[in-house]
Amino acid sequence: MIQLNNIEKVYRTDTIETQALNNISLHVQKGEFLSIMGPSGCGKSTLLNLMGLLDVPSKGDILIDQQVTQNMADTKMARFRNSRIGFIFQSYHLINDLQVLDNVELPLLYRKSTAKERRELATEALVKVGLGNRIKHFPTQLSGGQRQRVAIARAIVGRPQIILADEPTGNLDSAMGDEIMNILLDLNKTDGTTIVMVTHDANMAERTHRLVRLFDGSQVQ
Amino acid sequence: MIKHLFKLIWNKKKENFLLISEILISFLVIFAVFSSITYNYLNYREPAGFKYDDVWMADLGSPVQGENKDSVMLVFANLKNALKGMPKVRDVSLSSNNVPFSSSMMGSGVEYGHVNIQSDMYRVDKDFAKVLQMKMQSGRWFNETDRNPVYLPVVLNAAAAMALTGSANAVGKLVKMEHQTLRVIGVADNLKDKSDFKTTSPGIYTLIDTSSIRGINTMLIKVSANADARFEDQMYRLIAGTTRAHNLQVAHLSEMRTKKNKEIIVPMVILLIISGFLIFNVALGLFGVLWYNISKRRSEIGLRRALGATAAGVSGQLLGEALVLATFSLIIGSFFAVQFPLLHVYDLPAGVYMIALLLSVLFIYLLVIVCALYPGKQAAAIHPAVALHED
Repeated sequence: MIQLNNIEKVYRTDTIETQALNNISLHVQKGEFLSIMGPSGCGKSTLLNLMGLLDVPSKGDILIDQQVTQNMADTKMARFRNSRIGFIFQSYHLINDLQVLDNVELPLLYRKSTAKERRELATEALVKVGLGNRIKHFPTQLSGGQRQRVAIARAIVGRPQIILADEPTGNLDSAMGDEIMNILLDLNKTDGTTIVMVTHDANMAERTHRLVRLFDGSQVQ
Repeated sequence: MIKHLFKLIWNKKKENFLLISEILISFLVIFAVFSSITYNYLNYREPAGFKYDDVWMADLGSPVQGENKDSVMLVFANLKNALKGMPKVRDVSLSSNNVPFSSSMMGSGVEYGHVNIQSDMYRVDKDFAKVLQMKMQSGRWFNETDRNPVYLPVVLNAAAAMALTGSANAVGKLVKMEHQTLRVIGVADNLKDKSDFKTTSPGIYTLIDTSSIRGINTMLIKVSANADARFEDQMYRLIAGTTRAHNLQVAHLSEMRTKKNKEIIVPMVILLIISGFLIFNVALGLFGVLWYNISKRRSEIGLRRALGATAAGVSGQLLGEALVLATFSLIIGSFFAVQFPLLHVYDLPAGVYMIALLLSVLFIYLLVIVCALYPGKQAAAIHPAVALHED
């Protein structure tokens, strides 16, 4: 599903060159739930950004669903992200000025859909994460766990084949974290969604199919 | 997407209140400026209805002295003949002192049936139309047959005819003015005689006769194009010698017109300069707010990119938000603007307000687009991975 071949990522400033990722090759199978662990600054998020086409590698190829993503035009890449990839972030990244339903509808705004379709799909996604009764709330009126569930609903509303989760339980207590993890596991099991999750929590990582460890930008496991 | 933008702006109405107010005030000022410009421009486009080039005005300063009215008439008749005998004089006419582009005004109520209007009144002689090359719409101008008629003859301008008789032909109708019944013998084109930028009011022309000659102290003289200062001096001496006028003044209608136009142009330019500063301030404010919004909303922009927005889409969204903000202001502003024609404020034609409204709306949208372009470009340049990591 996702294939990374000899990926390198170097951040350059006028004076400093930082090697964020060094020769990473990784193949994520369709329907796999993969977790990535490693200490802070080891390149986990950079790797996830590259998989999500939010950043481009300095070297190497990324293939998603057997499509080469290198040199993809901005419009095509945006459409690709919109249709194939859902994102979940540690800090939720919800728009506080929009109601829960509008937040969940966001990915659908960037594809052809009617307002009715958007509303139906967003409501369906919110029901799936157990927030069908919170659609008119604003994010600031929700708890951390609820916010993350809204973020998950937003990630799945476009029915992507891949979900990239960057420390989705990082800001939550263990009970809330478990709740979120169960939703992700359920999505993986019932919908066959491929999930790549960055985490610091070994217990969470253990529940996934495979664990990849990074250290100083290199894959160590 | 438009609904989404409206929702986003509406949900942030408190934060956007000041900006909406600022655009609203600018819109109202621009609406006032455009109303004024449109009104003056539409007036400017109207034909003058007469020719003022090479027409001089001789203001005697005080009425001509004579033993009786007949002798005054004789003085003027002799003067006209003497002037017409000069090589560079084409025509001469007597007139009340409210000649074109003068500051004098004379008016009276005119009545036809149940219609009563306030009209400018001009006392003229039979050569007046020839001197100013006026055109008749119907009927005729005064001639020698108009002495001692049953009803005194009058000529209306088109505005007066329309106000009194509507679309019916006014010629032959009897109108009342100052307790006298007068017969309309002709309808002349409107004369834009107050300024190029002023609309024509209803006007009525009456023939100078013995009874009204005492108040006459102005003449209009059509001269040839090569009439120069030396000729003006000769003419001056002839008029002064004949009438014994002590305060005689000769002025050219074209110069008087320029002076009158300045009375409109100068305040207009001042208004434009003041509103220009205001618009510049609004533009700076808009630009600043949009730029600030981008730095405040970097993570949101990053998120939208992650969810499928293109760089151009993000830029377009910023522009769209600015346009939605402007639309809120314009809806409120237009509500106030349409009250002007509805309530007949300043009594300008409704079309003037409608044109001004349209121009103001276009101007505000254009201003907003210009101000949002650069911040929108900056937003498009935000790298999603970096923006999402910052928060």
